[in-house]
Amino acid sequence: MAAEALLEVRSLSKRFGNRAGREPSPWVIQELSFVVNEGEFLTIVGPSGSGKTTLLNILAQIDTASGGEICLQSHAAPIGNSKSLKPGLACKIGYVTQEDNLLPWRTTLQNVLFPLTVQRRLNEDTRARAQMLIRAVGLAGFENHYPHELSGGMRKRASLIRTLVYDPPIILMDEPFGALDAQTRAQLQEDLLRLWNLGRKTIVFVTHDIVEAIALGDRTLVLSRSPARVAGEHRNSIPRPRDIRGIMIHPEFAPLYQRIRVQVQ
Amino acid sequence: MATWPRTEDPILARLARLAASLRTRGDQVLVLVVLLALWQGLSLVFGTYWVGSPWGVLMRLGKGVMSGEILRHASYTLLEAAAGFLIGALPAAALPFALRRLPIVTAILDPFMVGGYGAPKLALAPLFILWFGIGIESKIALVAITVFFIVYFSALAGVRALDPRLVQMAQVMGADERDVARHIVFPGAVPHIFTGFRIAMPYSIGGAVIAELISANRGLGYLVQLSAMNFDTTGVFVALVATTCIVFLGNWSVNVIERRLLRWRPRPDLDMQAGS
Amino acid sequence: MTTHESELDRAERSQVKWRKYAVTVGRIGLGVALLVAWKVGADAAGPLYAADPINVFQRIVSDSMSGSLLRHITVTLRLSVEGFAIGCTFGVALPFLLRRMPRLTRAVEPYIMASVGVPKYALVPLFILWFGIDDAPKLWLVGLLVFYPVFIAVFAGIRNVDRNLINMARVAGASEAMISREVIWNALLPFFFTALKIALPRAVSAAIIGEFLVGNEGLGYMIEYSRQNFDTTGVFTGILVATALVLVINAALVRLDRHFNAWRPIDRDMAL
Repeated sequence: MAAEALLEVRSLSKRFGNRAGREPSPWVIQELSFVVNEGEFLTIVGPSGSGKTTLLNILAQIDTASGGEICLQSHAAPIGNSKSLKPGLACKIGYVTQEDNLLPWRTTLQNVLFPLTVQRRLNEDTRARAQMLIRAVGLAGFENHYPHELSGGMRKRASLIRTLVYDPPIILMDEPFGALDAQTRAQLQEDLLRLWNLGRKTIVFVTHDIVEAIALGDRTLVLSRSPARVAGEHRNSIPRPRDIRGIMIHPEFAPLYQRIRVQVQ
Repeated sequence: MATWPRTEDPILARLARLAASLRTRGDQVLVLVVLLALWQGLSLVFGTYWVGSPWGVLMRLGKGVMSGEILRHASYTLLEAAAGFLIGALPAAALPFALRRLPIVTAILDPFMVGGYGAPKLALAPLFILWFGIGIESKIALVAITVFFIVYFSALAGVRALDPRLVQMAQVMGADERDVARHIVFPGAVPHIFTGFRIAMPYSIGGAVIAELISANRGLGYLVQLSAMNFDTTGVFVALVATTCIVFLGNWSVNVIERRLLRWRPRPDLDMQAGS
Repeated sequence: MTTHESELDRAERSQVKWRKYAVTVGRIGLGVALLVAWKVGADAAGPLYAADPINVFQRIVSDSMSGSLLRHITVTLRLSVEGFAIGCTFGVALPFLLRRMPRLTRAVEPYIMASVGVPKYALVPLFILWFGIDDAPKLWLVGLLVFYPVFIAVFAGIRNVDRNLINMARVAGASEAMISREVIWNALLPFFFTALKIALPRAVSAAIIGEFLVGNEGLGYMIEYSRQNFDTTGVFTGILVATALVLVINAALVRLDRHFNAWRPIDRDMAL
């Protein structure tokens, strides 16, 4: 499927500031380069501590980079200087973080509507879209609940559709289903793919779980341990729609899994 | 130490708990009766002149309420406390917000605020009476300055308790400074501000009463002082009971408002559910 | 990018230094501004309403030299310390006593909590009526004001002591008294110290306010007496000295606390 590059990352490098007089800190990310194509579901795997969250933070423009460039839709993003960062790049980059970061003082519905409120796009159509998404992930009936009244899985779903509701061209996801039990995780993976299918947005999905990476992605990047670099790229040709719960039985699964697993070590 | 056996049976356990709480209630009523009896006994021994009696106080209280006298004085004290509270608490709550983007100013102010907080504000009572006379203004001023420093530090803590991840999340979604202040900083600080309100409330009534004790011609503190000077112990007790009632009223109001505004807070005794 | 980084680093460090200077300068400036405002305000408001800072300073010096200031301060401090000792003793002893009688505790607890709502200062006229016009009513006031925070802190501290520790001690054969001493006392020390930090300045405040209402000595008496004689300078002097006294005590307590508890991981979220 020929598609143009939506996001280009070239020679990205990052290390954290060092205290005066000490050794410079080690590189967390070094010379990382990859491309994300439009409409693609890209998964990134790597061992814990390999800088995956840092990478997403830099892409989302909430953290600076020490070197390299990022281009979104052929426009370069300012990533070197902390003053010129534009988080979310004018709402073009959505970011579903590991913690749900729901506002505790807002109900589910109000939380989902939050980005629309802040972007001044709240109207009948967008409200309807929010309601549709709430129903789509099974949160119907919980619109007026506060986050502390929801289970962990429900909060995750709310935070997911909160980003989907304003439809950014590219969405970053940082191990969103990591803290959930297997049942909930499978359910949410299915919901995610179903929702993704409706609009075929571009998604960059980070996980440490290789099975999840294969189940969801069109392409999987493997990151090396510190410093993070692209250790490998794997095309995933398991046809869609995929059977999440039965993905491991698919004949193409095992060899792909093996190839990725070897690189993750 | 539990005197009945632990049991796995849920119904028996529930019954046991019910019996225990009834027993405690009974004990508490018993204590009340004992205290009242002791009071009555003391009044017989020392005379109602010195100690007043439960019945005498009750009667006088009823008379005072019916004649409106108690309510008149109580409303005066309440007005002082409420007005002083608002005048002190609102600027104190607003200041940390206004200074949020100016940490240098906050730092400059800090030793002065800490000094103001630690200084005995009630010692200013005679000064305010000198300035504003024995009317209502001196009491309001005293309450206001006492409440100000308490609420300031609570509000400051609230503004500082900001979770940066929530701010980042909002910024990624396109929130500007005003949005962050309105949707994230302010709601997050409200619980802390209410804690400040709750701490300051008894000080507001206490401050009003103290100022009235020193010099006033109306109010419950004045009533206490007047009765004492007339060796009217019963009158003193009546005024004290009325004052305590106002304190409870104040506490109750703050709790009610807080419960309404902070419905979204997770209650600490509820278990956090993990997983679906 | 490393040069860029080190530039950022240097810029950050010099910014931090600049900030420190700005804050210090700002504080001194604000202090000076307040003094100036005081002088201007005093000139504008007249000698009845506001005392000229120079007069106040002179009064402090003359009172110190004549010894009257020291006398007043001593009286107030003596009152505070005595009342503090009384309140502390009962505040600590009572919870330990109640610990042995859980049924009594449950029965009495609501009344104790309700009594917190009674404004203690309002009781002073009653105390004067009962105990006369000497130190007694003031001691009662200070004692009560110290008792409550200490009692609540120790009570809560005892309640929160880990049941496991107590059970372990019992199993090891410790007597109740020993349990009280070792396990419980050590566990509630941080709560106790926090309460002390609140209670001691309060004791001094209470002594001063008590002196507004009764007595013929002490800082509070000095302030109120000046007011009644329209001696505004005296009022200002008294308030200044009283404030300085309480602030010094506060600062000393903070220093002591930090010194003694430096090694202890204190839960700073303890709210009292």
